[in-house]
Formats: sequence, structure tokens, C-alpha cells
Amino acid sequence: MKSSSFKTRCSYVIMGLGQFLYGQRIKGLMYMGILALYLWYLITAGIGDMRGFFTLGEVEADPWLGTAGDDSVIMMLRGILSFLILAAVIIFYLANVKDIKVTERLVGDGKPLPSFYRSLLSFVDKKFYVVALFFPVIGVLIFNVLPIIFMILIAFTNYGGNIVPPKLIDWTGVDNFIQIFSLSGIKGTFFKILGWNIVWAVSATLINYFGGLFLALLLNKRCVKGKALWRAFPIIAYAVPGFITLLGFKFMFSYGGPINYYLKAMGESSIGFLDIDAGWKARIIGLLVNAWISIPTSMLLATGILSNMNNELYEAAALDGAGRWKQFTRLTLPFVVFSTTPTLITSFVGNFNNFGVFYFLRGGLYLDDYFLASDTDLLINWLYNLSIDNNYYGIGAAVSLIIFIITSAISLTAYVNSSAFKKEDTFR
Amino acid sequence: MKKEKTSEVILTYLILILVSFVFFFPVLWLILASFSSSGSIYDFEGFFPKGYSTATYVKLFTDTQMYDYPSWLRNTLFVSGFSSVISTVLVILTAYTMSRFRFRMRKPLMKTTLILSMFPSFMGMTAVYLIMINFNMINNLWSLILIYSAGAPMGYLVQKGYFDTISNSIYEAARIDGATNPEIFRKVTMPLSKPILVYTALTSFAWPWSDFILPNMLLKNRDLWTVAVGLTHLGETEFSRFAAGAIFIAVPIVILYFSLSRFLVAGVSDGAVKQ
Amino acid sequence: MINGGKKAISLMLAMTMLSTVSACGKSGAAKGASSAEDGEITLRILENDTAKEKGYLDELLTAFNEEYKDKGIQAVDANMEEYSNLAENGPYGYGPDVIYQANDKLMAYAEDKHILALNREDFECADKIPDEAWNAFTLSVDGKQYTCGIPINVQEPMLFYRKDMLPEGWESNWDGDGNGIPDFLEDWSSLYKYSEEVVNTSNGEKYGLVAPCNDLYMMAEFFFSYGGYIFGKTEDGAVNSEDIGFAKKDAAKGMMALKQFSGIMSEECLDDSIKQSRYSKVADGTYFCSISTPDTYVLFHDRLKEVYQNEGLSESEADEKASENLGMVELPAKLPSSGDLTSGEKDIDTIVMGGVNGYGISAYTEHREACIEFVNFASSYDMVKKRADILGIAPTRSDAASDLGGVTSMIFDSLNAGHIYLMPSVKAVDQIWDPVGTLLSDVAKDAFREKKNETVKYADESQMQEALEGTSKSIYDAIYTLSN
Repeated sequence: MKSSSFKTRCSYVIMGLGQFLYGQRIKGLMYMGILALYLWYLITAGIGDMRGFFTLGEVEADPWLGTAGDDSVIMMLRGILSFLILAAVIIFYLANVKDIKVTERLVGDGKPLPSFYRSLLSFVDKKFYVVALFFPVIGVLIFNVLPIIFMILIAFTNYGGNIVPPKLIDWTGVDNFIQIFSLSGIKGTFFKILGWNIVWAVSATLINYFGGLFLALLLNKRCVKGKALWRAFPIIAYAVPGFITLLGFKFMFSYGGPINYYLKAMGESSIGFLDIDAGWKARIIGLLVNAWISIPTSMLLATGILSNMNNELYEAAALDGAGRWKQFTRLTLPFVVFSTTPTLITSFVGNFNNFGVFYFLRGGLYLDDYFLASDTDLLINWLYNLSIDNNYYGIGAAVSLIIFIITSAISLTAYVNSSAFKKEDTFR
Repeated sequence: MKKEKTSEVILTYLILILVSFVFFFPVLWLILASFSSSGSIYDFEGFFPKGYSTATYVKLFTDTQMYDYPSWLRNTLFVSGFSSVISTVLVILTAYTMSRFRFRMRKPLMKTTLILSMFPSFMGMTAVYLIMINFNMINNLWSLILIYSAGAPMGYLVQKGYFDTISNSIYEAARIDGATNPEIFRKVTMPLSKPILVYTALTSFAWPWSDFILPNMLLKNRDLWTVAVGLTHLGETEFSRFAAGAIFIAVPIVILYFSLSRFLVAGVSDGAVKQ
Repeated sequence: MINGGKKAISLMLAMTMLSTVSACGKSGAAKGASSAEDGEITLRILENDTAKEKGYLDELLTAFNEEYKDKGIQAVDANMEEYSNLAENGPYGYGPDVIYQANDKLMAYAEDKHILALNREDFECADKIPDEAWNAFTLSVDGKQYTCGIPINVQEPMLFYRKDMLPEGWESNWDGDGNGIPDFLEDWSSLYKYSEEVVNTSNGEKYGLVAPCNDLYMMAEFFFSYGGYIFGKTEDGAVNSEDIGFAKKDAAKGMMALKQFSGIMSEECLDDSIKQSRYSKVADGTYFCSISTPDTYVLFHDRLKEVYQNEGLSESEADEKASENLGMVELPAKLPSSGDLTSGEKDIDTIVMGGVNGYGISAYTEHREACIEFVNFASSYDMVKKRADILGIAPTRSDAASDLGGVTSMIFDSLNAGHIYLMPSVKAVDQIWDPVGTLLSDVAKDAFREKKNETVKYADESQMQEALEGTSKSIYDAIYTLSN
């Protein structure tokens, strides 16, 4: 017992050493390998990267003189990465501690230790979810979480305006947020755009959702022959890349476009559908164009889900004398809504952050009562104007952080209270 | 189910024709524009070009000095194909796991992914660019595949909704038969998820089709561009070529749809009975 | 069922496999393009799309490589997008070595030292180029002046018109001063009068001038001629972007003139339609003239040629007839000081916005000397002349400009006479286009509101002045309120 607890303690100091001493050679070596790798990384780059995260560079580069300096943004990114790696190693360390305790107990009980291969197999079976989620989580961590952390941190720096590489960037705390709230123009614009953004997201989501459902139901009717062919028309529309469609529609509604051509041919005067003072005209066109682009996808989805419905339910209902409308409201709708609530939420999120529609249809307009935006711009378009067109990365990041907190609060509440989240097993 | 009345059948077809027209008309207009003989969008009588010719398509594939469309098409197919396969695997795995298993981190993970997806994606683009510079993967098509596939599991909710409707008893039966979880996934889940597989594959295949922010940032060399990037950089008077290019990349998706469409409606419940 | 699924997936795989081989091969080959192998220096040159499309870049590269074969320098096409951002690519080794761009773009890079400061004396063309052009590439840092680019050619908006559509007997009716040039090509008031006549006699089917009214670059003469400007200057001559000049002096009068003129244009002038339709509509005679940059000459010409071909002429005949009938001149030189185009006044000089295009050398190049050699070669008399021949540009080299004569030397003279206001060479210029563009199209739209009996926003000069000040303020805000 005493020697085993010594072996256990070995793993507290050098992870994997205990397992190795207990005779679990491969597992022990793997843990030690990870530790060695990490130490090597720390010495060659890790420590410097962590330090760089706080300083964000000390030597300014001067390309004219050929002096290589520090690149603040790269240093920030590598700094974040070094902390993520540290977190991963800590997780491994904790797993190692847990593992050595299990081993210790097994040895204490006098049971044989499983071979590496056997324990691997049982791990894959019992903890299938860990294995299955490993790659997705790693991918999301590097390509989604890391950029998001980076961006959140940018909100606390003076990046942007005149301060872009090779100049050094500095941490400035909450200065950006103070600046946003002290400017009257920004606040007014923010709430105006937020209001429209919510109206847009709700109506676009509903239109696309019910449009797709309606189409899918229509095509599911028994009397419709050649379903694949009928379904192909929306698919063809879907196959044309979205931005091309948007440019096409922009042209159609322009002064020189076909719609105005026919209006003029009929003796009417042309209409500026997407003009400066188009207002709601442009907004409604945006909704319709967006529906045209998105309905095919939601139709595909609804078709897939409807095909999953149990026909016996309908037959039973029909025997009970339920009418078609009743069948729809009592059976189809609850089923479809249940299995697509998450989709509704994703689609809401997608529409909330729908950058393309108004960027292509009506980009580059700055209206009077708005700060660097127009009345059709969504928050994401405004962000684009702020941070890309006008180079205010820091401010843009701060605004997007605020937007992000608001929107994620809304959608998280909606999601947590949805039946799909609460009662996942309803239709099992 | 009862047969529909004749009046209803007629009404159904009328609506179908109308809907198809609405969806097809703008595409038809693009097709016509791609056959316009002058190449300009302003030589039109309303919706129709004044003259027709196939010269644009010939130009699209032979005049590659400035605009190397064949290369762009190859690149796009390459990126789309690989990211479609990899993303589909990752998404289905994620969705299935989230739907089927109950573990401690599950609900926090679900909430986190929802929040993460609320982030305006282009704000993170700088970081993605810097990451790719660090990995030395600029001017490399694999960088796109990597990013598209890695981001795909974020959109697992749709697929999870689908798996939530599959009865647990199927899995339990397999479990009693002594199948391990990986076996269940391979032999039970995969065959059951054809419609959603098709849906996932189609949508993730189509995504690189229309994305141009990312490839525009990561691919510097003109001959490495994807079609979306290339088309946005066409000269402003090249409208016919633009239309032709747009029509032509729609073709693979339509083919893919037709070859996969029967799986889309293959019912899960039917499949379960046959198993 | 399972077999079918596999087939579908293998189909998808097969489609991609087909493309794999070639795509991979290419990405590998492209990487090493700029690295020097066995002592050979390779320069990556980023030219603009037109130069590439019309074959000038090829000629330039071939000529250079021929000349420098023995010295081990080779120049290749950078094969990138013409506006790809040097600040994004350069530091990481993906940028070109030599870059050809307009002065505002190039100098925005210079501000952050992404392109090198150069010695004028290193370049043979130095004393052939007027100071106005050099100034466009001069950056002042802490009171010291640096030259960061070599000017090649001047750009300004031009008037494209149909010579064969001049009115019958214009020599007697439309040539008041008897100098053999129609009045409406010489002053805006006459152009207005003539355009009005065209619209009225054709019952609104045809138009005189239709110009992109939402485009600041094309419409800037309505600001600058009336004393407006983009940014002011500090005492030591540096650009002062805190001083925004769109509302200064009589700019409001200029805007009233713009509003007045757009009233007799087609509504296509309000959005981007005109930017594409001008080529075909001048060609088919719907518009008598339009405004564009000189490098679009070929586009007007090709459209017109097509029209003649469709009328049954052979290709060479059509080509010849198109060259004969398409006129390109500078914008009318006089504007009315009152801002009223019907007044018949022609008492102030038109000042248009212009830009100077030139070469810059990336600060991240490893072959600085070779780059200077290349730029020297590309700015030599022969190459500049060739460039002008192929692309129709107006050189900044005095010897090339005077040898080419015609419109080219006119542009060169305008630059010297101060009739071209060059885009300021600072980054802040990026932030003027959208706000002013929005205002311009709103002003133009006002003319159509008037016609449709809707509420007019800019009825008089004071309302216009207010709008201009509002726009100047929002530009100021865009540049300053958010910066640190």
C-alpha cells in the first residue's frame, strides 16, 4: 500500500510516471510524452508567447530601415494559443490524476490491470461521446473559439485608426466602451438599428420557415406527380450562389433594370426601389429576396423531417374521423415544430447576422440620422462599416461584444425555454 | 389517407406552377443573360437580350489569361468535395452524440455552441487569417477545407433535431444484442440517417460555392481562386461572363441533388421496419 | 439502399478526386514563385487589370527580361488581385515587390511604411515629370519630405461623346466663339442648353449628358470649381484632414448646378446603373455623351464597334468608323459662377478631381536595387509611350506627353495649369467616398422629386449649405471621433 501511494504520488509530479511504474507502460509513456512535448513547447516558444500576450510587443518595426519589430496582433494570438494549450495540459493532468487513482484502487483490490488495448476499446465504447466529439471540439476551439477570444480581447485595445501594424498596439482597458457610451450619435444609431434588426430577424425567420414548410407539405401531397422535378426548381435557385442572386436582384430593381424598364414602357415613372429614401420599400424587398434565397434550404429540411413521420399516426387519426386541418394542427405541426425548433433558433441567429442581403442590395449608403449606416443596415452591416470600411477594429470589436451579449441572452433564453431543449425525448 | 378532390388537385398544381415560376424566373433571366450576344446587361429589352450567342461560354472556358474559370471551377469542386465529406462526418457525429448520450458537459456544450454561433463571423476573420499565416497555409486550398470542416459542427442543431425523433428502442435492441457504441453508430445510425446525411452533404457542399470572404482572404494567386472570388473580380462590363459562370457552377449542385434526391425522402421509419 | 448511399458518396468523391490532382499541383508550384534560386532574382510585379488584359504587362515583362537576362534579374506577374492589400500580405511575405497603383492607395501604404521611400535622383525620368505629379507621391513625416512612388500617368474624368451626333449646322448655331469646337464641349451652360434641347426634341427618348451623379470622382468639379476641396493644408504644406472642405466657399452653388443638370438626365444617373449602361447607351445613341475615365475608352469604342457590326459593316470598317465617331475630350472648361446653368454665364474655370498612378516598391522586398532597376525601366520613355499607345493613358513624362499630342498633352497641360485637383495622398481619403456619394445621389434625386411634385429637400442654397456641412461633419466624425 505504501509503495503504491508513492507510485501514485509520482504521477502527481510527473504525469504518467505512476502509470508507468504500475506496469501500464504505453499509457504512462503517452502521458509522459505529452508532458515532455509541453515542456519543450514552453521553453522554445510558450513562455515568450505568454509574456508577449501582456506586453503586446516592445520593439516597433520599421520597414524603411529594415528593422524587424514585434507584431502585436500575432503576439496576442500566440498568447491566447499558449493559454489554450496550458488549459489542455491541465485537463490532461487532471485526467491523469483520476486515472492513477483508479489504477491504485484496482491494484489495492488485487485486481489485474487491463491491457492498453482493452482499456482503449472499453474507453471508446463507454465514453463514445468523448471520442466522437474530440475532433469537432478541437476544430471549433481553434477556428471559432480562438478567433472569438481574440476579437473580444481586441475590444480592450487601441487597435485601429492610425494604430495598425507595424505600430504597436496596447491594452487600454474599457476606454473603447466609455467612448461608445459617451458619443450620442452612436447610441442613437445603435438602438435604431437594433430595433430594425429584431424586426428583420423575426419576420425573415418566420417567412422562411413557414414558406419552406408550406412548400414541403405541398410537395408531399399524394396527388403531386413528379415530386423530384417540382422540387428541382427551388433547388436550382439554391444552387446559384447567394451573392450572385443578390447582385442580380439589385440590378433588377435598379433604375436601369428590367422592372423599371417595363414600368416606363407602361408610361409610369421609374421607382427607386433601393434608393436613399426607399425606406420600407427596400426593407420589404430585402425580406422577399432573402426568402427567395433561404426557402429552398428550409424546404429541403422540412422534407427530410416530414419523411421521418410515422404514417400510422395519420391513418389512426383518419379512422378517428379527424379532418385534414385537425390532422395538420394536431399531428404535423407539433411534430415539425418540435424537431425544428433548434433550426428556428439557428435560422433566427443566421438572419440576425445576415450580412449579405443589405451589403449587396444597398451597401455604401450613409444616411443623415445614422452614424455611418443606413436605415436598412443590420447591426452586422454597421459593424462592417465601423471596423472594416473605417478601420476602427477596437471600437468595432467593442460594439460587437455588446451586440453579442444582447443577442446571445435573447436566443439563449428562447432556446433554454423551448420544448426541444426541455423535453428532448417527446417523440422517441 | 383519402384521395384529394379534383378542385384541390388543380389548385395544388396551380400553386406549384406559380412557385416554380417564382423560383425559376430569375435563374432563367441569368441563363438568358449568359447567352446574350453583346455581353452587356444593358442591351436588353426588359428581361430579354437583343441577340443570342454561345460565345460567352466559349470565352469562359478558353479565354483564361485574365479569368481562369476552369481552374476556379476545379478549385471550388476540390474544396467543396472534401469539406462536404469531412463536415458531414463531423456534423453527424456531433449531432448523434448530442442527441443520444447524456453526459455532464452536454447541456453546457449545447448552450456554448449556441452562443458561439451568435458571433458575427467576419469580426474573427483577422484572427483566422493570422492563424493561417502561423500555420503557413496561405495560398493553399486545404486551409479552406480545414476551416469549413472545423466550423461545420457548430451547425449540428438541425441534425440533432432529426436524431431526436428516432426511437431509443432501436438503439437499446442493438445494445442488448451486444453491439458497442461505435458499431451502433456505423450499423444502426448511419443507415437510419440518410435523409439528413443528404441534407447535410448538400448544404455543406454548397457552402463554399457562395462564400467569398474567406477564400478572398486566404488565396492570393489568381489561379487558386474559387469561382465565387473569381466572379466578384470580373470586370464590370463582363456581365454575360458573370452570368455564364454563375449558371455553370449551379450545375454540379443540381446533378448532386438529382442523384441524391431519392434518399432525401427515404423515410426513417420505413428503414427501421426493414432493418 | 446501403449500396445506393455508397454510390452517391463515391460519386461525390469521384467529382472531387478529378480536381484534386491538378489543384494540388498548382498550389505547390505557386508558393515558391518569389524565392530566388541559384542567384537568380525574381521580382513579382503587380500591375492593374487593364494593363494585364490589354497585353501591356506582357510586353513590359518580356522587354525587361530580355534586357536584364545577363544580370540575373527576372520579372514576373505577381498574379494577384489588383487591389490586394499590401499591409495584409507584405509583412508575411506574400506581397508583390513592385506595385502599380493610384496615388491615394499607394500613399496610404506609405503612411504605414509598407512601401519604400525613394531617391528621385535614382530615376532617369525624374526631371521629365512635373512637380504636381511628384507631389502626389510625397509624404511628410515630422516635417521631412519623402518620395514614395514614381508617377507614370494622370487620370481625370473625361467626356465621351458621339461626333456623328453633333447637331446639324452646329458650326453656325453652336459655335459662338467660332473656334471650330462646339460650345457645349467648352462650357457647362451650353452643354445644359444643348442637353435640354435633345431631351425636348426627342420627347424624352434621348438625352444629352448622362453622368454618374452618385460618384464623387466624376462629379467633383461641382465642388472644386466653386472653391470646395477635400482636405486643407497645414502651414508646412502637409495635408490636414481635420479641415474638410466640401462645404467651403461656394460649394453649395456648385451643388445647385449639379442638381439642375441631373434634372435633365435619365434616372439611371442616380444609382450604379449608369456606370455600366453608359457604354451601350452612348453607342446606341440614347445618350449624346457621358463621363468616365480615359482608360474606359476601349469599352466605349468596343460597344460602338459592335453596333456598327450589327448594322452590317465588316469588322475593320466598324472599327474604323467607331474610332472616327467616338470623341473623348476633357470636361467643359467653364462653369457659371452663380451656379445657375440657365444663366449662360461661363466665368469660372472647371477644376476636376484627378489622380496620378505610379509605381511603388514594397518595403518587404528582398531585392531593393533590382526593384529600382525595374521601375527605372518601366518609367523609361519607350515603355511609357508603349503604355500610352496600348492603354490610352496620359503620361506624366513631359517628353512622352508632347510627342503623343492631342488629348494626352491636354491632360498634361491641365495638370500643370492647376485644373486638376489631385486626390490627397492620405489614408483618410478612404472615408470621404461613401458619405459624399450618398449626398450627391440625394442632391441629384432632388431634381426628380421636383418633377414628381414630392417634397424637395434642397430647395435653395442655404438648405444645400446645411446638408454639405452635415456631410462634412459626418466625415469628420468618421475620421476622428472614434480614433484614439
